[in-house]
Amino acid sequence: MAVKEKAGRGAPPAKQRGMTLHQRNTLVGLSFITPNFVGFFLLNLIPIVFAFWLSFNRWDGYNPMEFAGLDNFKYIFAHNVFQQAVVKTLIFTGCSVVITMILSLGLAVLINQSLKGIGIFRTAIFFPHVASVVAVAAVWQMLFQKDMGLINEILRHLGVTDVPGWFASTKWALFGVIIVNIWKSMGYYMIIYLAALQDVPTSLVEAGMIDGANAWQRFWHIKWPLLRNATFFVVMMLTINSFKSFDLIFALTEGGPGTATTLLSQYIYNQSFVSWDYGRASAAAMVLFAIVAVITLVQFRVEKKLDT
Amino acid sequence: MKRFLSLVLALAMSLCLLAGCGGTGSNSEPPAGGQPAQDAAQPAEDTAKPAEDAAQPAESTELTGTLKVSGWDMEVSGSLFKAVIDAFTAANPGVTIEAIDIPAADYGTKLSVMLNGGSDVDVFWVKDADTIYPIASRGQMTDMNSYIQRDGLDLGIYNGQAEDFNIDGKQIGMPFRTDYYTLFYNKDIFDECGVEYPSNDMTWTEFEELAKKVTTGEGVDKKYGAYFHTWQACVENWAVQDGQHTIMDTDYSFFKPYYEMALRMQEEGTCMDYGTVKTSNLTYTGVFSDGSVAMLPMGTWLAATMIEKVKSGESSVNWGIATLPHPDNVEAGYVVGATTPISINAASPNQDLAWEFVKFVCGPDGAAAVAGLGGVPALLDDATLKALTSVDGYPEGALEALQVKNMVRDRPIADKVSEVNQMLGEQHSLIMLGEVSIDEGLAGMGEQSKTIQGG
Amino acid sequence: MTNKMPVWKKVILYVVLIFICAVTLLPLVWMLSASLKFDKDVFRIPIEWIPSNPAWSNYQRIWEQVPFLRFTFNTFKITLITTIIQVFTCSFAAYGFAKCKFRGRNALFLIYVATIAVPWQVYMLPQYSMMNAVHMLDTHAVLILLHSFDAFGVFLLRQFCVGIPDELLEAARIDGLSEYGVYRKIVLPQMGPSIATLVIFTFVNNWNDFMGPMIYLNSTEKKTIQLGIRMFVGQYSTEYGLIMAASVVSLIPVVIVFLAFQKQFVQGIATSGLKG
Repeated sequence: MAVKEKAGRGAPPAKQRGMTLHQRNTLVGLSFITPNFVGFFLLNLIPIVFAFWLSFNRWDGYNPMEFAGLDNFKYIFAHNVFQQAVVKTLIFTGCSVVITMILSLGLAVLINQSLKGIGIFRTAIFFPHVASVVAVAAVWQMLFQKDMGLINEILRHLGVTDVPGWFASTKWALFGVIIVNIWKSMGYYMIIYLAALQDVPTSLVEAGMIDGANAWQRFWHIKWPLLRNATFFVVMMLTINSFKSFDLIFALTEGGPGTATTLLSQYIYNQSFVSWDYGRASAAAMVLFAIVAVITLVQFRVEKKLDT
Repeated sequence: MKRFLSLVLALAMSLCLLAGCGGTGSNSEPPAGGQPAQDAAQPAEDTAKPAEDAAQPAESTELTGTLKVSGWDMEVSGSLFKAVIDAFTAANPGVTIEAIDIPAADYGTKLSVMLNGGSDVDVFWVKDADTIYPIASRGQMTDMNSYIQRDGLDLGIYNGQAEDFNIDGKQIGMPFRTDYYTLFYNKDIFDECGVEYPSNDMTWTEFEELAKKVTTGEGVDKKYGAYFHTWQACVENWAVQDGQHTIMDTDYSFFKPYYEMALRMQEEGTCMDYGTVKTSNLTYTGVFSDGSVAMLPMGTWLAATMIEKVKSGESSVNWGIATLPHPDNVEAGYVVGATTPISINAASPNQDLAWEFVKFVCGPDGAAAVAGLGGVPALLDDATLKALTSVDGYPEGALEALQVKNMVRDRPIADKVSEVNQMLGEQHSLIMLGEVSIDEGLAGMGEQSKTIQGG
Repeated sequence: MTNKMPVWKKVILYVVLIFICAVTLLPLVWMLSASLKFDKDVFRIPIEWIPSNPAWSNYQRIWEQVPFLRFTFNTFKITLITTIIQVFTCSFAAYGFAKCKFRGRNALFLIYVATIAVPWQVYMLPQYSMMNAVHMLDTHAVLILLHSFDAFGVFLLRQFCVGIPDELLEAARIDGLSEYGVYRKIVLPQMGPSIATLVIFTFVNNWNDFMGPMIYLNSTEKKTIQLGIRMFVGQYSTEYGLIMAASVVSLIPVVIVFLAFQKQFVQGIATSGLKG
């Protein structure tokens, strides 16, 4: 609370004489950002910059570092497990982002109602995000069980004779993992869309109704453009979280069978805690970082273009 | 670089705290409170130098001080670590032990972060054999040789286990407890089938035959003759049991007979299918304690769990224990296992006291405490073995079954073991699932092992 | 206001919702069922959904075997303080990033967002060394600090803040409100649903965090619920029945917080009246 008082009442920079409007704006802007930025800078940014530096060094985590230039990057790019991990991560991320976005938006629209008991339904759909990973993994492993699992049972009823082995097969494990990931995260992004839908001015929707637009037209022409900021956020977070996804996959398959579900995040984990090579781990993380930074930049450009 | 960073950050952080941005959160504990005033920066890189400390006579003075000791599963009933810590503080009332209890699955991660990050832990047990070498090579374990000489300790009493923790002439760990594979069996199933119980001298071929005789039933009621858990150890260990090869070899053809056996038994239905076990999260304790398998090759640690389960009424299995089956070329009593060591943090300011603790828990008093709970101490003589197998709940004949002629480490203590072990686990799953043939799998193992060890 | 919806539409909606919830709630049902079983029965196939011999004692043992009450209290303390700091500093910074124009704003924001992409594993060690240097290991303060200044919250709220019409703010400024006044009187009230979202996410994240407490806390009396649950996972045996019982208990506060805050998501519609 102290932070607010300090920034809110003490030393209002706005009224000082001799300042240009530009300087004043900057000061005001910074005063809003500073409380968070100080903590962010010290606790997150400094260690992250350190990790960035680490990617150009050889380090066992304890003894002095040795500058290694681009060696770490050369090593990981030549490492076939890394290459495979990147490809799998892209597949995983691509599928997760597209499907989860559509599903979460659909659910949000569906559930943005004032029905009796709607809170219970929302809680239920959000539940997979909250549920313990151990329990989630256990249930899905049983559902995906090759011979007795419910999913293959259904497939057999539908006439599929050669049912997939899911987590016991290198071909299908990744898809199994994607399905569970979508299931677990759709409620989370639904909440974001749900919050965003509250910002759609009802007057606009009503105007649409009077114009005789049907539900789809009302959604596409009125709501969807207003959901742009939320969609940017959802796409970014989905991308980042899919890239970083670790706990759930580890609980489901431990990266296996073989290395069938070893994604980039697990590769980074292995480099730090199995191979004890923090330099290579950081280098791999920087690749991930670069991909996300590019996507962010592109999104920014699009956002700006739409604004003008 | 690191020292500089720490200092800059320390300064920045304290400024931040003064400015109040730490605010509401930090009032419960004063940030710099009870911590010992230890230098914030890392201590010397060198493996510690207890030589000069060792010169002081430690005789007959009462020990005082505080030690931070890290281990796992300390809250679990029957914790051996807790037992030896209690025994030590009972014998040395002047010493306070602060136990750091870490979740077992994440022990390696946290231990390495604590050691690298400069935490003030004094003494630690090492859980996974493959993490010993990396920690030692970073210079984070004290060389205990000078203490051993000073106190005239004879390492011969550990039956060769102490030498495992001697790396480049430095004694970086002391053997604390030992676990080796043995054969657990379900007496009721053998009785029902009218088959004699497994003997203490049986080859793996005989084991496979025996499994056929005690496999009964169909579907949900099926009782499997044998059970191999999903770890690669539960196939590959039998291949290193004779002491001729280790998992660090790059030609893995010596695994072949055991993979053939495991796949054959899986095919014939005399052991549970790997895919089923893996994807239905089966635990070896679960399947054995509910009576659905007849024979389970597993580590000695399982005995304590089974005793507990039977005592609590959770399991009604009438179980027995026999010596682990052996390869054709060696005699019974050649077993495979691992020793859990205890080490001193080279950066600890309490080297002398830490050594006293290590000496105690690895000595006769510690061994007695371990055996009292049914665990196998590394300091194992006939009397101790007798004591532990007479713990209430141990099956008859355990004393004979647990006799060891030679114990091979399942994972050697060397560089890159953790990476090789990880890779073997990946390939193991492919072979057991039938995704690759045995030959392809073994060739893959060899190739990757070369890359890992060569690079 | 729902009166306008024809009955058949309502029925279809309910049917669809019930079906979706059946899929999402499956693990909960399984958790409840497993929490009443002995370990050896937990993974038995076919699943026995209603245990014939329920082990109610699991719910008693979790309190006796580990100091679960203490853990719950600790988790509450950490989660509550973190959530308050987050909502506060994040909404503030979000306004700065969304509505104050100054040079370097976008670059700074880009840094914020990009750091979210760096996996914790690679900067965990330097962070730990820093905390050790200021003697903050094994305190709750360290967890509160680390979680309070996440870039995520700033990003989330900024995206919502951008959508507030500039005309609204301009009008307020003309009325003589300072930027801080605009933030408090105009922006904050508009951000109800998004702040509710942040509260829910922050609460859930902190409540379920395992790695942070695992790395930073040593003493048993300072540990949190998630660490407590892992105490039932031993090196050699795992007490699944107890894990599930503890997980079910630990879910209750999360569900309460969610139910309370999701009410924010109907107000927009309710107050402006869709009925027309």
